[in-house]
Amino acid sequence: MREVLLKTEKLSKSFSNGGTMQHVLKNIDLQLYQGDFTVIMGASGAGKSTLLYALSGMDTPTLGAITFGEQTISELNPDGLAVFRRDHCGFVFQQIYLIDTMSVMDNVLCAGLLVNKNKNALIDRAKELFRAVDISEETQKKFPTQISGGEAQRVGIVRALINSPEILFADEPTGALNSQTGLDVLDTLTKFNEQGQSVVMVTHDMRSARRGNRILYLKDGVMLGECNLGKYVHGDAKRHEKLSAFLKDRGW
Amino acid sequence: MRKLFLIVCSNIRKAKGQTAAIVVLILFAAMLLNLWLMLSMDYKANFDRYHEKLNAEHVTVTVDDHDGSIKEDLSEKLEKDKDVAEYCLDSCMHMTGTFPYNDGDLSSWFVFMKKQQAIHRSVGKAEIVEDSDDTSGVYLPMLYKTDEIQAGSPIEISIGSHTVTYTVCGFFNSVMTGSHNCGLMELILTEDKYDELEALGYAPNATLCSIRLWDKSENVTYEAALKSVVSERFPNVVMISNSYNMVLQARYISQSICSAIMSVMALLVLLIALIVIASNIINYIQVNMKNLGALKAVGYTSRQLICSLLLQFLGVTLLAALLGAGLSYCFLPSVNTMMISQTGIPYAIHFLPLPLVLSLFILGGTVALSVWLAARRIKKIEPIVALRFGLQTHNFTCNHVPLDQTKAPLNAALALKTTFSGVKHNITVCITMLILSLVIVFCGVMTANMIVDTTPFINLIVGETADSCVSVKPNMEEEFLRKMNDDGRVEKVYLQTSINVTHSGGAELLATLCDDFSRVNNQSIVYKGRFPKYDNEIAIGARYAKEKGLTVGEEIEITANGKTENYLISGFTQITNYLGRDCLLTRSGYERLGTLSDANYYINLTQGTDIDAFHEEVEEEFSGSINATVNIRSTVESSASIYVSLMTMIVLVILGLSVVIIAFVLYLLVRTMLNNKKRDYGILKSLGFTTRQLILQTSLSFMPAIIISAAVGLTIGCISINKLLSLFFCTLGILKCTFEVPVGFITAAGICLVLLAFAIACLLSLKIKRITPKALLSGE
Repeated sequence: MREVLLKTEKLSKSFSNGGTMQHVLKNIDLQLYQGDFTVIMGASGAGKSTLLYALSGMDTPTLGAITFGEQTISELNPDGLAVFRRDHCGFVFQQIYLIDTMSVMDNVLCAGLLVNKNKNALIDRAKELFRAVDISEETQKKFPTQISGGEAQRVGIVRALINSPEILFADEPTGALNSQTGLDVLDTLTKFNEQGQSVVMVTHDMRSARRGNRILYLKDGVMLGECNLGKYVHGDAKRHEKLSAFLKDRGW
Repeated sequence: MRKLFLIVCSNIRKAKGQTAAIVVLILFAAMLLNLWLMLSMDYKANFDRYHEKLNAEHVTVTVDDHDGSIKEDLSEKLEKDKDVAEYCLDSCMHMTGTFPYNDGDLSSWFVFMKKQQAIHRSVGKAEIVEDSDDTSGVYLPMLYKTDEIQAGSPIEISIGSHTVTYTVCGFFNSVMTGSHNCGLMELILTEDKYDELEALGYAPNATLCSIRLWDKSENVTYEAALKSVVSERFPNVVMISNSYNMVLQARYISQSICSAIMSVMALLVLLIALIVIASNIINYIQVNMKNLGALKAVGYTSRQLICSLLLQFLGVTLLAALLGAGLSYCFLPSVNTMMISQTGIPYAIHFLPLPLVLSLFILGGTVALSVWLAARRIKKIEPIVALRFGLQTHNFTCNHVPLDQTKAPLNAALALKTTFSGVKHNITVCITMLILSLVIVFCGVMTANMIVDTTPFINLIVGETADSCVSVKPNMEEEFLRKMNDDGRVEKVYLQTSINVTHSGGAELLATLCDDFSRVNNQSIVYKGRFPKYDNEIAIGARYAKEKGLTVGEEIEITANGKTENYLISGFTQITNYLGRDCLLTRSGYERLGTLSDANYYINLTQGTDIDAFHEEVEEEFSGSINATVNIRSTVESSASIYVSLMTMIVLVILGLSVVIIAFVLYLLVRTMLNNKKRDYGILKSLGFTTRQLILQTSLSFMPAIIISAAVGLTIGCISINKLLSLFFCTLGILKCTFEVPVGFITAAGICLVLLAFAIACLLSLKIKRITPKALLSGE
């Protein structure tokens, strides 16, 4: 039996929009498992990003519960959520969001030093991760505006992984990148997943979604089902067909 | 123009908080500026208005006149004198005396006059401002109306070595003789009391001579010349006088101090406001680079964009300046009450257009200059470049605090990074803190030397002080000194007599005589050179020396009692009592010119000795040989209480103002920082930084600049405060301040200022709470 990392019960999220309530997530029951590459898909406005924020502790649900192990994170205050994020989560943003006034290495270490007080071990881990994503030592000393978008996103992945989080959340990680750079980023995520890193990614891109072994489809705030694609194998045509069929059944 | 207004309105809407903070800073600057201008431009003019209203004299002299012969002689001389416009001669009595005032004793040279005579004088008349039903008693100058001294209450007045008790019938106003600061002070007696005092013979008969000159500026010279003529005709006659300049300075010391402090504070607050405005504009240009590029791209010229900023800040400034000027009128009554307690001349508060116009002009002009200097860089903005690259806030040449190498804790290291990336903020913080540090040093020095212990200030203003002064007739001097030296209560007794001498070819000088100047308590009276030691040496007032171009080592001629001798200038004094026209001579030095008619001895008594009881004993023992006794300690304490309350008020206001200034400057900087770094805070929060950590980082990022500038400011302040205060007081004739600098107190105050700044920064950073990582993700 697979180990459950994070689960939601009747998770709902509503926003007030010009006086009228907008229900973005409706009673979502979900379980995320250790080692999975979970992809959340859906059309624009389906609520996939909102779900990702809630799961990662960046936002609080209106109703329902989110449990991580024994901890109900939906009950935490903002500072409690910050501690949860730093201890258990990594986050890769679509807009990358590196801090411009810090060097590449500092961007990574500033997240790492929050959790790991052993600086030498942390630096070794950062260098190992930089090597894994092909970021040279020279680039590590540069500032974010001095490197390319692809490099920046790979630095973002290193920053997300520096604390060896239980779950890596990625919000459209290839959305701001060109085709080839996007592929490189996906390869990196796949590689880490193969090493045992649990990944939850939001995307509306079929090519990206194919990397996941578990696809969840969200429509109008409701989970419409899931598709298990199995372990990713490069160039597996059946995988694409299966995903297409799953999405087509749900009106994609 | 309408387009510019739209930009201005949009800018103000977007930066309401910053605009409000700038309004407050300008408001304070305008308030202080207007108060200063009102005090300096109209307050002293009020003296002239009263001078004219009461047809007051430019020179006042009272001369011993037992048989009226001097009165006749003076009348003859003044009648022929072409410099004299008007004069009035009246009979009076005069004598030194004291009465209780402000929990101490007030000591002065009293001139007693009959009521009807005093209020009907053609020159120098007194104006009764409060009268009562009592028909027998004394009228006092209005300055002395206190809770204890009221119309109808009894007052005990010591006249020479005798004491009389009168009922206070009322109060009067006199421009030239209405205060103990005037050198001579008028006391008006009812007819019966005057006759009674005359019969008692406690005070000798005299003639009061009040003279108005055609040329008012000649008052000091004329006073010296007149006294010289009288003393030549009537040698050894007792003669007390004052002049317009001397009275004006003496009655307006607190006004001068207050006005000078306000001017400095106004300029400092204005300087801070200008720096904040410039920093605000530079930040505005940085943050709105793309918008400015877009405006330029659609056809706005650099001039129009600069004009919009000028319009925005000038509008805000003029509005705040008007409010500040209005506020100054709310504070003026309190300031006026404080001032009147020293000047003793009523001041009717009224609207003064000139100070207002000047305030608006100064504030508008300096703000416009500051805006123009800061906004000039708009000219360099290329629309395409601005649109393409937008905000450029970081210099990528150096990573000042690499996290992999620094030993600092994470929060401190990130705070340091912020510090290094915000040089302009640091400059604003540094200048503000430097100014406030100097202000703290000033407050510390004033507290230590004027509030906690008044002696240093009194020494500076008054010159020499002791516990007691006993005026002895020369024939009893030896016996008196022998008794004093045998008395266990007496720590020190030394001659300290003042007498008028004339600098040949110059002015009349008030000479202070002493047997041995190494025995005087205040050794800082001579600030350059040394005290006179031999009978051919003299130390003269620095202000007078500067006026006449005299130098140490130079020989001058001094005349007294019709005799002239040469003296070598051994040093310069900084006594302010006689408009700086003073000198020090050894007794033997003076005796080359004549003999002393009275000898005043200053006495230091042991701790706990009852000075008044001591005087009673001395008067009893040397009955008939003591002219007068003065409780100097009590007199000084009563005079000092006015300065103490004034300075306490000033220090409290300055400290309060400093807190407000640092709060508003930090508010502007923190707010700007939060706006500029909103994205970074969102990222850091998403990485797991808590609000508390980010508040700490933000507040800590200001600390290096605050601590360094406070330390530098306090050090510079401690080293240079006496020199700065000397500049400050030089108009009063004080050229070298020797105030004690309370380093411990100032250090503690500096630490408090830093901690206060940290606390304020923490409080202002609470807004970080509202920044959520979700807002960053959803692009808010």
